[in-house]
Amino acid sequence: MMAQVRAPRNVFVNFPLGRPCGKPNDAKLQAQILKDALGYLAEAKTPGEFADLPYQWDESFDWACYLEDIEHMLKAEGAEVQDWKPKD
Amino acid sequence: MKRIDYVSCLDQMYQSQGFPPYQWSEFDSSPWTPFDKPLNQACIALISSAGIFRDDQKPFDPWAVNDLSYRQIPIETPFERLKLHHNYFDHRDALKDLNCVFPVRRLEELAKSGFIGSVAPEAITLGMGRLYKRTALQKETVPDIAKALRKQQADAVLLVAA
Repeated sequence: MMAQVRAPRNVFVNFPLGRPCGKPNDAKLQAQILKDALGYLAEAKTPGEFADLPYQWDESFDWACYLEDIEHMLKAEGAEVQDWKPKD
Repeated sequence: MKRIDYVSCLDQMYQSQGFPPYQWSEFDSSPWTPFDKPLNQACIALISSAGIFRDDQKPFDPWAVNDLSYRQIPIETPFERLKLHHNYFDHRDALKDLNCVFPVRRLEELAKSGFIGSVAPEAITLGMGRLYKRTALQKETVPDIAKALRKQQADAVLLVAA
């Protein structure tokens, strides 16, 4: 998505959606990710360029996990699933 | 974990539900303003699209469609007064610690330690969800936000997409 939109300067953190600035209550990791991102603001030379930050998510995670996690979250919170349907 | 191609996965999922193909924003060039100021003198603003609002502001719809509105949140607002309405991603980690998607406490620390000059006083938050009104977003919402950021004398913006 980042490559399509091409904001002027981009950094990519390969964590599951919803944790772009790091894991919860891990201030050290969050600060490091922000330092890298802000440092890149000054370093990037080419419009639309992006950098992959080196952080690794410890567990495996894929699209199926993404959908399952949302399902579990909605169930746990007693929230409704989206009822918006395509027009006929 | 391997990278997930969210664009293709979302296309496949929504089209299998009968939605027409989504018109993703795609650009072949990027606007560019050289960043000449030393980082430790720069004022950094924050924009987060994680559906965060203050308890006295209009809530975001957690399943937003075409929501072009935004909220301005003073950065010193205690997290206890902030809420998150966004169901398009698993927000449970963000609820444990809003800094995952709204890293104001970390930015304040970076300003205090002199890594950046300062943090713009009011962060901007959006909910958005699925958007089918790109022109209105570009011509109405974005200029409004840019105006608010200029007023805060922000030198650069950290965009956090949740």
